[in-house]
Amino acid sequence: MSAATVVADSGNIYECDAVSLELFPHGKRRLIIDRLSLNVRTGEFLTIVGSSGTGKSTLLRLLGGLVPATSGNIRFRGAAVAGAPSGVVVVFQDYSNALLQWRTVARNIALGIEDKLDKAEVDARIRQSLQMVGLEKNALDHPWQLSGGMQQRVQIARALALKPQVMLMDEPFGALDAMTKASLQDEVLKVHQQTGTSFVFITHDIEEAVYLGDRVIVLAGPPGRIHNAVDITLPRPRDQMSTRQSPEFLRYRAEIHDAVLAAGGH
Amino acid sequence: MLRLAPWFSALRSGMPPLRGLLPLVVLLALWQAINPQGSPYFPPPSSWWTGLSVLAKSGRLGAALSSTLITFVLAIALSCVLGGLLGLLLGRSRAARRALGPTLEFFRGLPPPVIVPVAVLLLGYVQSLKLVVVVLVAIWPILLNTASATAAVSELLVEVSHTLRLGRVATLYKIIVPSAVPAFLVGVRSAIPLAIIITLLVEMLTSLPGVGSLIVISQRQFHSAEVYGLLIVVGLMGFVINAIFVTIEGVTLRRFPPRASYMHDN
Amino acid sequence: MRAKLNIPGTLTLLALVALWEVAVRGGAVTFDYLPAPSAIAVAFVGIVRSGELLTATLHTLGSVLIGWVLALVIGGALGLLFGLSAFARRWFLATLEVLRPLPAIAFLPVALLLFSFSLTTELVVMVYASIWPMFINTMGGIANVSSRLNDVGLTLKLSPTQTLLKVLIPAAAPSILVGARLCLGLTLVLAIIAEMIGNPHGLGYAVVNALIAIQPEQMFAYVLFIGVLAIALNALLLQAARLLLPAYGRGAVETV
Repeated sequence: MSAATVVADSGNIYECDAVSLELFPHGKRRLIIDRLSLNVRTGEFLTIVGSSGTGKSTLLRLLGGLVPATSGNIRFRGAAVAGAPSGVVVVFQDYSNALLQWRTVARNIALGIEDKLDKAEVDARIRQSLQMVGLEKNALDHPWQLSGGMQQRVQIARALALKPQVMLMDEPFGALDAMTKASLQDEVLKVHQQTGTSFVFITHDIEEAVYLGDRVIVLAGPPGRIHNAVDITLPRPRDQMSTRQSPEFLRYRAEIHDAVLAAGGH
Repeated sequence: MLRLAPWFSALRSGMPPLRGLLPLVVLLALWQAINPQGSPYFPPPSSWWTGLSVLAKSGRLGAALSSTLITFVLAIALSCVLGGLLGLLLGRSRAARRALGPTLEFFRGLPPPVIVPVAVLLLGYVQSLKLVVVVLVAIWPILLNTASATAAVSELLVEVSHTLRLGRVATLYKIIVPSAVPAFLVGVRSAIPLAIIITLLVEMLTSLPGVGSLIVISQRQFHSAEVYGLLIVVGLMGFVINAIFVTIEGVTLRRFPPRASYMHDN
Repeated sequence: MRAKLNIPGTLTLLALVALWEVAVRGGAVTFDYLPAPSAIAVAFVGIVRSGELLTATLHTLGSVLIGWVLALVIGGALGLLFGLSAFARRWFLATLEVLRPLPAIAFLPVALLLFSFSLTTELVVMVYASIWPMFINTMGGIANVSSRLNDVGLTLKLSPTQTLLKVLIPAAAPSILVGARLCLGLTLVLAIIAEMIGNPHGLGYAVVNALIAIQPEQMFAYVLFIGVLAIALNALLLQAARLLLPAYGRGAVETV
């Protein structure tokens, strides 16, 4: 590996090569991810589905640099990942614990940038992020005063304020009701279209994976490994009514449903 | 009126209707009306005032009160600073918690008054004795509450600080310290009555200047009106201290989600 | 929580005691009256042999028991009354709330004035201090559940007495038991304070007496014994609560 010559020109923003992760809970060796290889293309919206126990969240944490791999290589823009890389940010499922409840919405959004940028720039980014997720009116509220969907919007806004190249989302809408979920899905698609940010989006909801993704990866396990990948060629922009009713959408849904069943898991 | 409303309502919230004071007023009025003159045990309330003003004129009341209050305020301040810092250190280190656990449990379980004779024996009857003893007693609830809250900071918040690339120092003062604040305040809440009791006890046992020794002197001389008067003074002191704390606590906790567990009465 | 033996913790404790011993023997500490742990152990054996420890402990435990039962009955009854009756809360609660923060220790001179050096003085101070947690926890427990569970009683056609005995009190039991436990701790603390100042008997007096007689070894022996006694009493009560309340799960007992 000649580090000097690696460039992002491969068209891949992430390159994972035979990545494994072992943990030792209670002294017993457990393989969580087994020699998994995966590329994420620049600008791509990649969704990952799998039953529980297939290591979806763990894979995301590996990409985000929150846990180190036991073996194999993970490269972000050509450089090996060691710790959370600049330009990558994770959005967690458990929004109420991921937000600082004692800070206002605006100050939560400022958390990742307040020490790195000057005040005018911080204020401008807070305003932009709030506007992107439609929370302009709630800047001075505390998270615990907001509904679950709004709190998750705050977390997304906090990630956007960093102007990341990749957003890693860990079942972000898993705890929300159907209506809120649908509107947040469209919110995320809008951000993807407007900013060109790459997305890696974990979900256990097959329809959500098809609706959002350019490509769906089905995980098998445990231990976690790739079962198969499906390119989704549905036209963009997508629409909650017409896209979801199109025969192609239903065909993709059936195909991935079968793949998830075949991949097993718990 | 409106300006005062926030802190006044923080003070009033949770307090029962004021008309409930009526029985107390009736009782005192009856006591005064029956006026058991000459009874050395139940001097009428009006004579309490006379007794107090005698003490006040001689300057003994003012001196005693200021000595007691200075000890109390310094002791609580020191306990907050030391207990908070040590609690933070202890909460951050699992090894330290395990190593010091039984020792700390013993000190927490030790009934506070027995610390007084130990300190008298080791330090002698010096003015700083009061401060040392009260800190030794008041520090435990603050230290232990802060430590357990610091230890319980959710793993997720630590991951948030990683993905936002906050760095160790920023994580400490932006995430860990603020999330321990409510528990720290619960600790202070239980430390305050302890500190008042122990301040008075040290003064009673050692005759070092203060309200505690003053009240014991009055009792030994059978100046019962003074004893009752001083009882009221101590009660008012406790009431005012508590009111100040409740106000500070209310203002601080306003930004935290309301949770019954902060409101424990100890 | 049935904790496993904490080995590093126990070792630290032993190491601290050993360090204390070495520091005193080697003259590394400058306190005039700090005895070595071994000397304290010898003194402890002495007070056990002479029966002083037993007499003092029996006195203190006896008054703690009387004081605790009195505080449970008075505090529990008041708590029940105020938890159930909005009338009582409206017209009497503020009076109690004014009396509650009065530091019990300030009552000691008043009690001394009225009852001089006696068990009554000790009990008055103990009971005054320790009814409050029982009162607050019972009142809070009952008031908390009554809004929700009164309807249960109504729909099941229970009489008010049945509702109280079968629904409200059992539902409030965890909170009441927490009050009872806090109450026992306070009773012990106040017993020791009262014995130090108001009633020359028991463990509190033994400590002060050893201080005045300048017998540091004995004093430390009493102090450490009191610590162990307090921890044992608390553990005993936690265990009892766990046995009494198996249906409530673990969390119910250990809160506060």
